[in-house]
Amino acid sequence: MDSLKNSSEILAALENHQYVADDELATVLFLMLRLRKPLLLEGPPGVGKTEIALVLSDLLQTPLIRLQCYEGLDVNAAVYEWNYQKQLLGIRLQEGSDLSVAEKEKHIFGPDYLLKRPLLQSITNDTQSPVLLIDELDRSDEEFEAFLLELLSAFQISIPEIGTIKATHKPYIILTSNRTRELSDALKRRCLYHWIDYPSLDKEMAIVHKRLPHIETQLLKQVVDFVQELRQRKLAKTPGISETIDWAESLMALGYRDVNQKAIQQTLGSLLKSVDDIRLIHNENPSVLNQ
Amino acid sequence: MKIQAFSTNSLTESIVAFAQFVRSHGLNVGMQETQDALLAARAGLLTSRLGLKHALRALFCTSPEERLIYDRLFSLYWDTNPIDLRENKNKTTTQGAVLKKTNTTLVLLGEGKTPDTYKNAKTVSGANETELLRKTDFTKVSEVEARKLEEIAQRLFREIAMRLRRRMKESKTDGKVNLRRTIRRSLSYGGEPLELFRRARKPKKQRLIVLLDVSGSMDKYSFFLLRFIVALRQHFRQLEAFVFSTTLIRISKAIQCNQIDTVLDLLNQQANNWSGGTKIGECLETFYDTYGKRTLNGSPTVIILSDGLETGSPEKLGEQMQRIHRRAKKVVWLNPLKGMTGYEPIARGMAAALPSVDEFKAAHNLNSLLELETILANA
Repeated sequence: MDSLKNSSEILAALENHQYVADDELATVLFLMLRLRKPLLLEGPPGVGKTEIALVLSDLLQTPLIRLQCYEGLDVNAAVYEWNYQKQLLGIRLQEGSDLSVAEKEKHIFGPDYLLKRPLLQSITNDTQSPVLLIDELDRSDEEFEAFLLELLSAFQISIPEIGTIKATHKPYIILTSNRTRELSDALKRRCLYHWIDYPSLDKEMAIVHKRLPHIETQLLKQVVDFVQELRQRKLAKTPGISETIDWAESLMALGYRDVNQKAIQQTLGSLLKSVDDIRLIHNENPSVLNQ
Repeated sequence: MKIQAFSTNSLTESIVAFAQFVRSHGLNVGMQETQDALLAARAGLLTSRLGLKHALRALFCTSPEERLIYDRLFSLYWDTNPIDLRENKNKTTTQGAVLKKTNTTLVLLGEGKTPDTYKNAKTVSGANETELLRKTDFTKVSEVEARKLEEIAQRLFREIAMRLRRRMKESKTDGKVNLRRTIRRSLSYGGEPLELFRRARKPKKQRLIVLLDVSGSMDKYSFFLLRFIVALRQHFRQLEAFVFSTTLIRISKAIQCNQIDTVLDLLNQQANNWSGGTKIGECLETFYDTYGKRTLNGSPTVIILSDGLETGSPEKLGEQMQRIHRRAKKVVWLNPLKGMTGYEPIARGMAAALPSVDEFKAAHNLNSLLELETILANA
């Protein structure tokens, strides 16, 4: 991290790790590393939000700790949990000892009996700062955001029985959201904010080319053109970049050198993930073919 | 307040003044953000104008909408030369009523610069307008406002759906410890209850049936009401939805797939064939005879969204309402006309239906729809 002096170095480093970013994202990442503020990434599905965390951990050569959010996610699954079975056994084992009750209790609620979940893991890493990815935060309940506040601003977690655990190495925190609901202001204020949108034609071509270096220029151009046009349509599920890559890959695997009606029919499933969308596209002649 | 970069003396001052400037235009920027901005400046992000712009954008904005405002403010603040200030001044005044309103509100708020005061600032601009829109009758919403209203509605409906779902879940988890099974299992651990078994109450399957009037007289309302139905589906997994005017159409499937546009298209096509009259009684009869067996069991809650202007026979309507009422847990009638001052349910159709209605509510604006939450929570 110290080796990265400014945002253009980050840009180059990301490039080396197969991630095509723009100046703005590089600046934001640089800020995140420098100010040690969490980064909140929002944008439509499939534009590479999660990918950034993976690349960043690779780049900084530090472990990635991932918390996938879902409806009903609670403290016990995200922060910590006591190992009840072990505690019960612990009580049994202490039955013969002449420790006082207070001492026994202290023992039972000690670190040995604590199960660390991702958030706690992220601040107790001994050697270096890990990257903590809190994925699809908008899926969790609003109440859960409150648990995150302490971690995001003070890099510490309070456990009633033990006390406050401060981060040994402050993690780099990346939160992602598809914006299916608005996150709370309290949470947003603790984060840097960046919105990732669908890429431009040139950028998308660069990304696909980065991932699939052997793709022929003609096919690449046609594929990306086609997808870009699809995004202008009203679809149930707009394809993201990952879908573009998947599609290009399947076309290559089947040996197609350009996009034609037959190719589309055979492979549309890797691009569109909804029956209605597929039917819609099948039933008309995309303008790409007329060129 | 210095509202242009050239009028400040140092970079620090420029940034602080810029923070104040964007704050006064509704962005949620407090002490913390300003301080971070200065730190960022020190971290060497000021070598380029673009770098500064990007860095401050990440710090000052919290949504795509705010980013648009920010971009405008940024060029207004940093790019203005004293020479073309006059021109730009004109520009600011034409920036639209929303921004102007914010300014005046904040002046009234005074100089007490606690971040908390400004925390609400972001919503101040929207707040008045939003509040107003929520109270506006759907028929009086202009084209421009309609999009805004739809946005607000979308958000609020989602919140309702989330809250309702949450409530259900809470009651699901407070299962009592199933002692019998726990002790049985504990034998293998030598009598220690290592594994606790719970007996959760089975969640009651909630059913909701919605009947929406899409006749000519309801035209303006049906669009928003349809949105509302779609939002409800997120809570009531077993939602049955129908639209009717002279005939009854089941739209549950389309709504399940979130194809609100398809439904609207369908309605538009059909609308031409429909002579405009509403035969509520007949449609309810079709509903009862064709779908009643399948949908009216397990005492569901039935919501009817209609203005009650019956062109068929009112007696028939009354009769059908009674039949439905007998098999439903609760019948809710939402009438957009009820929002009008001085409205009395004396239209023949409405009067005939009323005896079989448990809740008779208005549905002419967003607020009235939101009030439904309490009824639905106990549904």
